[in-house]
Amino acid sequence: MAAHSEALAHGHGVMTQEEYAEQRDLRFLGFLLFLFTDSIFFTSYIFAALYLRSAAPVWPPPGVERPDVNLGALNAIILFGSGVTAHYAMHRLKESRFNGYIWFTIATIILGSLFLLGQGYEYSSLYHHGVTWSGTTFGASFFTLTGLHGFHVFVGVIYLIVTLAQTLAGVYSPSRHFGLTAATLYWHFVDVIWVVLFFLFYIY
Amino acid sequence: MSIDTIAVLRRADAPIHPAPESFVRKYLFSIDHKVIGIQYFIAAGLMVLLSGLFAEAIRIQLTSPHNTFLTPQQFNEAFTFHGTLMVWFGAIPIVTGAFGNCVMPLQIGARDVAFPWLNMVSFWTAPPAMLILLSSLAFGAPDAGWTEYPPVSLQAGVGIVFWTVAIFTIGIGATLTGLNFLTTVVKMRAPGMTFTRMPLFVWATAVTSVLSLVATTALASALGSLFLSHVFNIPFYDPSRGGTVVLFQHMFWFYSHPAVYIMILPVFGIVSEIIPTFARKPIFGYKLIAYSTVSIALLSFMVWAHHMFTSGLGVWVTLPFMILTMLIGVPTGIKIFSWVATLFGANMRLTTPMLFVLGFLSTFTLGGITGIMLAAVPVDWHEHATYFLVAHIHYVLFGGTLMGVFAGIYYWWPKFTGRMMSEKLGKLHFWLTFIFFNTTFLPMHFVGLLGMPRRVAYYDPAYHSINLFISINAFILGAVTLLLLVNMFWSLKKGPAAGPNPWGARTLEWMISSPPPYYNFKEIPEVYSGPYGYGEPLPYSAPYNQVSVTPSY
Repeated sequence: MAAHSEALAHGHGVMTQEEYAEQRDLRFLGFLLFLFTDSIFFTSYIFAALYLRSAAPVWPPPGVERPDVNLGALNAIILFGSGVTAHYAMHRLKESRFNGYIWFTIATIILGSLFLLGQGYEYSSLYHHGVTWSGTTFGASFFTLTGLHGFHVFVGVIYLIVTLAQTLAGVYSPSRHFGLTAATLYWHFVDVIWVVLFFLFYIY
Repeated sequence: MSIDTIAVLRRADAPIHPAPESFVRKYLFSIDHKVIGIQYFIAAGLMVLLSGLFAEAIRIQLTSPHNTFLTPQQFNEAFTFHGTLMVWFGAIPIVTGAFGNCVMPLQIGARDVAFPWLNMVSFWTAPPAMLILLSSLAFGAPDAGWTEYPPVSLQAGVGIVFWTVAIFTIGIGATLTGLNFLTTVVKMRAPGMTFTRMPLFVWATAVTSVLSLVATTALASALGSLFLSHVFNIPFYDPSRGGTVVLFQHMFWFYSHPAVYIMILPVFGIVSEIIPTFARKPIFGYKLIAYSTVSIALLSFMVWAHHMFTSGLGVWVTLPFMILTMLIGVPTGIKIFSWVATLFGANMRLTTPMLFVLGFLSTFTLGGITGIMLAAVPVDWHEHATYFLVAHIHYVLFGGTLMGVFAGIYYWWPKFTGRMMSEKLGKLHFWLTFIFFNTTFLPMHFVGLLGMPRRVAYYDPAYHSINLFISINAFILGAVTLLLLVNMFWSLKKGPAAGPNPWGARTLEWMISSPPPYYNFKEIPEVYSGPYGYGEPLPYSAPYNQVSVTPSY
């Protein structure tokens, strides 16, 4: 390619047409940027919660019971476990071991659903104890943030079910599986957010 | 060419979509970045005109101290809609959606943005959002100003819910546009176009995209909590239940201060393109202009509380924010001085785009200086919520953003329509805009210093004559803007053919025909050097180095 050698003569940093074609898998960067902007959404509410906490003379406000840390820890273990299974599912697919992929993904979906059930149980018991969304700033920030997170988990479960169906339909292969990579990344992202929320509401 | 090379080239073609056949896919649900840019331009342009009408209604009310043209309630709604429409539905979509979409992919030698389909979705969040916002007029319109501070906004009717939903919706589009543009700039530059060979408008668009990704999402959270407060009675902003209204101001301004730079950074990019083209010189301090864009963006996240000096923050909070705010004057000053240094000793061509850029330089600098004044806490305590603030924001947003947008329209119009605009009408438009802009907004500084509060329907009769003067000039300023529309229609009907490069510019968009073909570049150009080397051969591979760079005006 004459143009290319001419380009080299002009200076450095010149990509060949081949390199240009190689780097055009854009979706990965696009998806990372999506996760980044989503994390800002959480960050903003986390700072709001910290601000409300600093404005309160006592935290949690009087008459408010903190959510049960044991139940929260159990839920956290379930969610992190689902992160591990999601990781192995991805690996199995890359090694072309489809059965392993399918079972690990099903495990992830079940664990994710268990997390949602646990959260539902927690919500109802908190409401029984009078901790409500509109009652105090603690309830407001707790239910807003964990609700937003729970919504993300719910979307993630749907996302995993869709990718599982797609894999069974033969959409993904060990070498071409961006949709699966994205779903797995998203699932890990939701895990990481939970670490922060767990510290914020159960421990700190 | 080996078989392997052909296969690779075909893969480079792979993300390119085939040209659409039907009317709907071609003009309505198009995924072509140029069409989407024009769609943004039309939709946002209509919103700017509508917002201008609200502004004129405000000025009619203020022609006399106790005017009955609007009730105080309607007056509140008028300035709320003026601000909301201008910021989210006019300025931001025009500088990012319209200019970014039209120009950026062409300047980096790409055939489209990274995610063409997502681009279409981004645009189509805007029309529903506009309809939702306007429909709130029928359900108790929002009336607490474009910032909608609680508790006032929480005492209003259901219109505020429409307001939050509308801005949330168009915000999704803005965020997706930012994601799309950043991916495009990072991944799809033509071979050889390193970061320091990018045109400065591309730099500005990339940095603006980062701002959109961070700030628009933060705004979404502020809007979300306002929505929840109104609909589900959440106590975030209710002091009786432990909440605090200042929290909303923090959340809102953490977005809205960077939003100011979302509105101005692309305009800095436009100015940086136009100045070297008509000064016929390489731009002075290319890297300084590029890096100062980045530092403005970084600083913009650290200054939000300067909007809240009168909200009762402690001295230990206001002092660092004051210093950081004044610090923004440094990178902005670097830009202004670089542009002036480019003009120094240049054989300037005073075409319409250049005139608007020169107008921009003078009025924006004035607005920047009043910005530094307002950054000083004691001054701000005195001037906050007076017309001095109104004058400042209009000097940077009208004298800055809108002047730059006008310059950009006159500059790139021939590229996208293939026809020239009338220089005579354009120059008339510039001079009338420049004169009546200053006669409208300069006196606002004085009434502000005298103590006239903003956002009030009635005022002290002592300020009558000066307000009448402002109003008359504002009516003329509004009418003058119609000259641009006349010029556009004239150009579309009778404008002379533009040819590929009427201004003799050197960036990639001028190396292809006007209007650009559907695929922009039949083969991807290779880039050997930066774009502003006036007097040197064009730094692009054939066939993109064949265009004459001698101006044809």
